[in-house]
Amino acid sequence: MHEVALTVNGTNMRIEVEPRMTLADALRDRCDLTGTHLACEHGVCGSCTISVDGRAVRSCLMFAVQADGADVMTIEGLANGEELHPVQKAFQAEHGLQCGFCTPGFVMSVTKFLETTPDPTDDQIRDGISGNLCRCTGYQGIVRAVKRAAAELNGQS
Amino acid sequence: MKPAPFEYSAPTTVAEAIEALSHDDAKVLAGGQSLIPLMAMRLSRFDRLVDLRRIPELSGCTRVNGTVRIGAMTRQADAEHDPIVAEGAPLLAKALPNVGHYQIRNQGTVGGSIVHADPSAELPTAALALDATIEIAGASGVRRVPASEFFLGTMETAVGDHEIVTAIEFPVWGPGSGFAVEEMARRHGDFAVVGAMCGVRIEGGTVAQSAIAMFGVGSVPVRCGAAESMLTGSTVDGLDLGAVAQAAVADLDPPDDLHASGAYRRAVGAALVERALRAAIEEAGHA
Amino acid sequence: MSNRIISPVGARFVGQSVQRKEDRRLVTGHGQYVDDIKVPGALHAAFLRSDVARGRITKLDVSAAREAPGVHGVYTWQDFHEQFGEAYHVMMGEALVVPPPLAIMDVRHVGDPIALVVADDRYLAEDALELIELELEVDQAVVDYRTAADDSDNVVHAGWGLPSNVMVAMPFMPLAPDLDEAFASAAHVVETLVDQNRYNCVPMEGRGIVATWNQGRGEMDIIASTQSVHETRNFFARYLDIPEGNIRVTARDVGGGFGQKMFVFREECAIVLAARAVRGTVKWIEDRRENLIASGHSRNESGTVRVAVADDLTITAMSVDHVADVGAYPPCPAVLDPTLLTGPYRIPRMGFSMSMVWTNTMGKVAYRGPWMFETTAREIAIDATARAIGVDPVELRRKNLLSFDELPYTSAAQREMVEITPLETLDQALEMLDYEGFRREQEAARAEGRLLGVGVSVYVEPTSMDAPSLHTEGATVRVEASGKVVAYLGTTSHGQSIETTMAQIVADTLGVAYDDVIVVQADTQSTPYGPGTGGSRTAVLAGGAAQRATESLREKVVAIAAHMLEASGDDLEIADSTISVKGTPSKSVTLFEVAKLAYRQAHTLPADVDSSLEATVRFRPTRFPTWSNATHICVVEIDRVTWRPTILRYIVSEDCGRMINPMVVEGQIFGGVAQGIGGVLYENFVYDNEGTPLTTTFMDYLLPTAAEMPHIEIGHLETVSTTNPGGFKGLGEGGAIGSHACVTNAVSDALAPFGIVVTKTPLGPNDIFELVRAAGHA
Ligand SMILES: Cc1cc2nc3c(=O)[nH]c(=O)nc-3n(C[C@H](O)[C@H](O)[C@H](O)COP(=O)(O)OP(=O)(O)OC[C@H]3O[C@@H](n4cnc5c(N)ncnc54)[C@H](O)[C@@H]3O)c2cc1C
Ligand code: FES
Ligand code: FES
Repeated sequence: MHEVALTVNGTNMRIEVEPRMTLADALRDRCDLTGTHLACEHGVCGSCTISVDGRAVRSCLMFAVQADGADVMTIEGLANGEELHPVQKAFQAEHGLQCGFCTPGFVMSVTKFLETTPDPTDDQIRDGISGNLCRCTGYQGIVRAVKRAAAELNGQS
Repeated sequence: MKPAPFEYSAPTTVAEAIEALSHDDAKVLAGGQSLIPLMAMRLSRFDRLVDLRRIPELSGCTRVNGTVRIGAMTRQADAEHDPIVAEGAPLLAKALPNVGHYQIRNQGTVGGSIVHADPSAELPTAALALDATIEIAGASGVRRVPASEFFLGTMETAVGDHEIVTAIEFPVWGPGSGFAVEEMARRHGDFAVVGAMCGVRIEGGTVAQSAIAMFGVGSVPVRCGAAESMLTGSTVDGLDLGAVAQAAVADLDPPDDLHASGAYRRAVGAALVERALRAAIEEAGHA
Repeated sequence: MSNRIISPVGARFVGQSVQRKEDRRLVTGHGQYVDDIKVPGALHAAFLRSDVARGRITKLDVSAAREAPGVHGVYTWQDFHEQFGEAYHVMMGEALVVPPPLAIMDVRHVGDPIALVVADDRYLAEDALELIELELEVDQAVVDYRTAADDSDNVVHAGWGLPSNVMVAMPFMPLAPDLDEAFASAAHVVETLVDQNRYNCVPMEGRGIVATWNQGRGEMDIIASTQSVHETRNFFARYLDIPEGNIRVTARDVGGGFGQKMFVFREECAIVLAARAVRGTVKWIEDRRENLIASGHSRNESGTVRVAVADDLTITAMSVDHVADVGAYPPCPAVLDPTLLTGPYRIPRMGFSMSMVWTNTMGKVAYRGPWMFETTAREIAIDATARAIGVDPVELRRKNLLSFDELPYTSAAQREMVEITPLETLDQALEMLDYEGFRREQEAARAEGRLLGVGVSVYVEPTSMDAPSLHTEGATVRVEASGKVVAYLGTTSHGQSIETTMAQIVADTLGVAYDDVIVVQADTQSTPYGPGTGGSRTAVLAGGAAQRATESLREKVVAIAAHMLEASGDDLEIADSTISVKGTPSKSVTLFEVAKLAYRQAHTLPADVDSSLEATVRFRPTRFPTWSNATHICVVEIDRVTWRPTILRYIVSEDCGRMINPMVVEGQIFGGVAQGIGGVLYENFVYDNEGTPLTTTFMDYLLPTAAEMPHIEIGHLETVSTTNPGGFKGLGEGGAIGSHACVTNAVSDALAPFGIVVTKTPLGPNDIFELVRAAGHA
C-alpha cells in the first residue's frame, strides 16, 4: 500500500492505494467521487476525463500513485457552489446529454478545450471533442453546447 | 479490466531509475498511454514499474548541435506546442497533432511513443524520416542509436530491458525545406491505417535533400530509399511524383488486418506519398 | 398538407423545449448509475469466460481460486444446479428460456460464462480468475450464418440433442394469390441481395447489477442497469421462487440501453444466485470487453429481395427470402418483421420466407428498431431496382409511396396504414436538400471525377408495437401535502428524458408548474407495473397513462375545491396551481389549500367527496401500433485517394405526431441516425473463422466520434395520432431504422460512375476500395 497525498477539488486528501489502482478507481472508491465514469478503461472513450495539474487527462490511464502531490479536479468540483459552470449550463440548455453517462467526461474535456481554443469553429469543436465518445446524442447537442459555452465564456472575460 | 499487481517506484535521477530497472521483471512507465491499457487488459504484467515522471532532466526541448533534442519524458502536448520544435523539426510538429487526442498527448511522452514502436505510430516514423538519434542510458553508460537501427519489429526496439531512452535528437534541416504528413485513420485520432511523411530541401530548383517514410505498411516504419534517390539531385520541375510514389511502395508487402488489406495499404499509401510530396515541395517553394 | 394539431386549452409545456429535469444532477456528476451505488460490505464479481467458440469442458478446477486472497466464493455450474426455477420473460414467452447461468458441459460462443469469482474487489476477483484451471477440447465452430443451416456436421446445440442449426424456418409464403403471375408478367423484375453487417447497441454504460440477499427477511434487493425494473423483478420472482413483493428492483440513472438491457441475462442470474449464496451483496459491473463480446449482438441479417415493376414504374410485387443470425444463446431473437416489408408503399402483392439460425457467436439482442431489416432490405432494393431499370430512385419512390390523402390503406400483409405522411415527408426532405439542384451539382462534380452520391430511405415505424404483454402502461399521480405533484410511472428511463416529457404532460393536464411535478420511475416498490422502456412506446403509452391519471386526479382536486368554493365543479378551472371559478378569478383556492384540507382536515369534507388526491390509471391505446414515419436523405462524397466516405448532408423529415418536447424529439433522431451511420461506415463486429471475436476493444470496434458525424437537419410534420389522448407517436427508434439504407444508398450512388451497385455493408474505406478494385477502377 502506498499513501498518496493529493488535492481533489480544492480539498487535501490522503488515500491508501495499491500501486495498481487507477486514479479513476481511487477517485470513485476512495474519495467517493463517482461522477468520473468508466466506459472502457482502456483510454478510448474519454468518460473518465478529469483535470490533473490543469490538464485534461484520462483517469483510467493513470495510477493513483502517480498523482501524489497532484492537483486534481473532477466534475464534482467544476460548479461554483450552486452556480453551474458555463459549460455545464450549456450542456443543459442545448440538450448536450441524454443518458448522461458520457457527460462528465465531455464537460471536463470541453472546459479544457475552451481554455486553449476560446473561439472555435465548428470543425475545431468536432475535432476537439473527438476524444470523447457519446452513444446517445449524435453529438449535435454537444457541438451546440460547446458553441454556447464559448460565447458565454468569451462574454465573461 | 483491472491490472495485475506490481511494485512501484518513482526515482528522481536517471541513475536511480537504471538501478531500479535492474530488478528482473521491471518495466519503465512513462506516460502510460500505451502501457496501462495493455496492463488493464492483462495482456502485459510486470513485477515492478519504474515511473520516470519525477526525473526532471528527462523533460524539455532544446536546440543542441544542429538538432532539436527532446527529453524522452517530454509530453507530446508540450512538444507539439514548443516553438523550438515548430522551428527546428517542423515535420515532428506536424506529426504530433495526429497522435491520438489532446487528452492522450497531455500524458503520452515523445520517448514513450518511440520506444513503444507501434508500426502505425507517427513519432517513430518522424524519427526515421528525420534520421533522428536515440540516446539510451544503461548500467554501462550512454549509447546513441540511429533511428534506422532502432526499430526492430512490432513493438520491438534496440532498447534493452534494463535501459531507458533519455532523449531523441532530430537533425535540423537547412533553409528551403518543406515537410508534410498525410495519413489515413479510420476515425479522428485513431492510429493510422497507412500514412506517409515527406521532407524535401530545395536549392535553386533542385532537390538537395529528401526523406520519405511510411507507417502502417509493415512491422516497423520504413524509409523509401529508392524513391528518395529519384528525388534527390533532380530538378523539381521535372519530377514525376506519381512515379516516385510508386517507387516508394514497390518493395512493400503490407499486412492485411481488420481495418485494411495489404492491397489497400499499398495503393492508398502510394497516393498519400504523392500527396505528401506535393505538399512538402509546395512548402519548400515558399520557404 | 395541413397540420392537424389539437392543442388542449392551456397547454403551456407540451410542445415546448423545456429544460430537462434530469440534467442538473447529470452535468454535476451526481447521477447514480449502478456502479455509483456503494453498499457497505459489497463483494465484487468477475466471470471466467470461454475464449473458444465451441468446445467441451474437460477440466475445471477452481480450488486454487477459492484460496486466493480476498475471495469469498467461486461458483461453477455445479454450485447453481437446481438452485433456480423458471427462467423466462413474459414478453418472450415461456419457450425462450434464459440459458443456464454458467456453462454446464460445453461452451458455445466466445464469452460464454464458465465460472464466477466473488471477492473483496474487482482487482482481487480478476486475480483469482487467473488461478482457475480450465481445459477445453475445441470443436469446429459454426461462424457463418449464411451456411450454418446446411452444416449438419457441426451443430451449435448438439449438446441439447438438436439436429440442426435452424432455430426457425418459415417456407415461402405468398401474401397474394397472384404473386407468381405478377412477377412473371412484370416489365422488370430486379433481384437484390441485401446484407447487413453485425453491429451492436454499445451503450456507454455496460450492464451492471448490485444484488443483496437479506436472509432474515427473505428479500432480494436488486439495483440494475436495466430498461425494465418490473420485468426484472417478475423474472427473478419466478427464478428464485419467492413472491414478487419480496423483491425490489430499482434503477436510478441508466447509461443507455438501446435494447440491450431489456431482458435479464445469464450473468445477472448468476449474480443473484451468488448474492443468495453469500447472504449479502454482490456487485457485477461489466467491463467494456465483456460488453463488446458478451452483451448481445444485433443486425447481421441478409435477404434476397425481388421487386416487380410495371412500365409505368408501378411496383406490382415485392418479396424477400431472409436469413438472420441469432448467435448461440439469443437473449432476444428479434429479426425482420416481414409484414412491414412493403412499409409506406402501395405495393399490392408481397411474399416472404424467413429463417433464423444459430451460430457459435454471441446471441442476438434487440437493438433500436429490432425488426428494421425490412427497411434496410426494401430501401436498398428500391435503389438497386431503380438503377437496374434506369430511373431515378426518387421517381420510383414517388410513384409508389402512400400519401396521407389516400389513407387508410391496408397492405398485402394486412397492416392498416393510417395517420402517416410518407410522400409528404419525402417531398419535404427533397425540398430541404433541393434535390434537382443537387443532381445538377452532382453531374458537374462527376465531370471533375468526384464521387458524390445521394441516398434516400423512407419508412414507417410501428411505435408502441403490438405485442400483447406491451399493451398497457400504468401511472399513479398524486398531489402531495405541499401541493406539489408526484407522478409514479412504470417506465425505466435510460436516456429518453422521461422525467421531463411526462412532467410536461402532467403539468399541463393538471394546471400546475412544470417545476412542481416530479416523476418517479424505475422502483418496483412504488411505481405501477410497466413492461419496460423500449419499442418507442413511452410517448404513447406512458404519456397516455400520465395524462389519463392526471385527468382523473384533476377531477378529485376539482371536487374538493368545489366544496371549498361552494361552486359547481363544472365552473372551475385550474391554472398555475390555483383552482378558480371561471370568470371570477378572485374566487379561488390554491392546490396547497386543497391538499391541506385533504391531508389534514378530511373530516370536514362531505361523505361523498373523496379526500384522496391520488389517481391510478392503466392506459391502453385504442389501436396498435401507433405509426410514425420519416424520410431520410444523405449526401456522401468518397475521397478518390483514401476511399473514405464523408457525409456532407444528412436530412430527416419526420412525422411523430404532436411533439411533447421538440428538443427531445430531435435528440432522439440525432442519436438514432448516428447509430445507423456508425453501423454502415465505422462499426462492424468481426469474428474470424474459428469464431474468435476480433473487435473486442474500443480501438477496434469503432464508434463514430463527433468528427465523423455530420450535422443533421430535421424537418417536422405533425400528423396527430388518435390512438392516445395526447395525439403523440413514438419515435425513439426511427433514426436508427432509416439511416442504414440511406447511407448505403448514398455510397452506392456515389460509386455509380463505376457501375457499382452497393447492397452490402459495412462500407469502410477498405470495403469501398475493394468494390472499386473489383470493378476494375482502382
Ligand atoms: C485512445 C488512444 C489513441 C492513441 N492514438 C495514437 C495515435 O494515433 N498515434 C500514436 O502514435 N499513438 C497513439 N496512442 C499512443 C500514445 O501516443 C502513447 O502515448 C505512446 O504510444 C506511448 O507513450 P507513453 O509515454 O504513454 O508510454 P508508456 O505507455 O508509459 O510506455 C510505452 C512503452 O514504452 C516503454 N517506455 C516508455 N518510455 C520509455 C523510456 N524513456 N525508456 C525506455 N522505455 C520506455 C514502456 O516501458 C512501455 O513499454 C494512443 C493512445 C490511446 C490511449
Ligand atoms: S474509461 Fe478512461 S478513456 Fe474510457
Ligand atoms: S448521453 Fe448517453 S452516452 Fe452520451
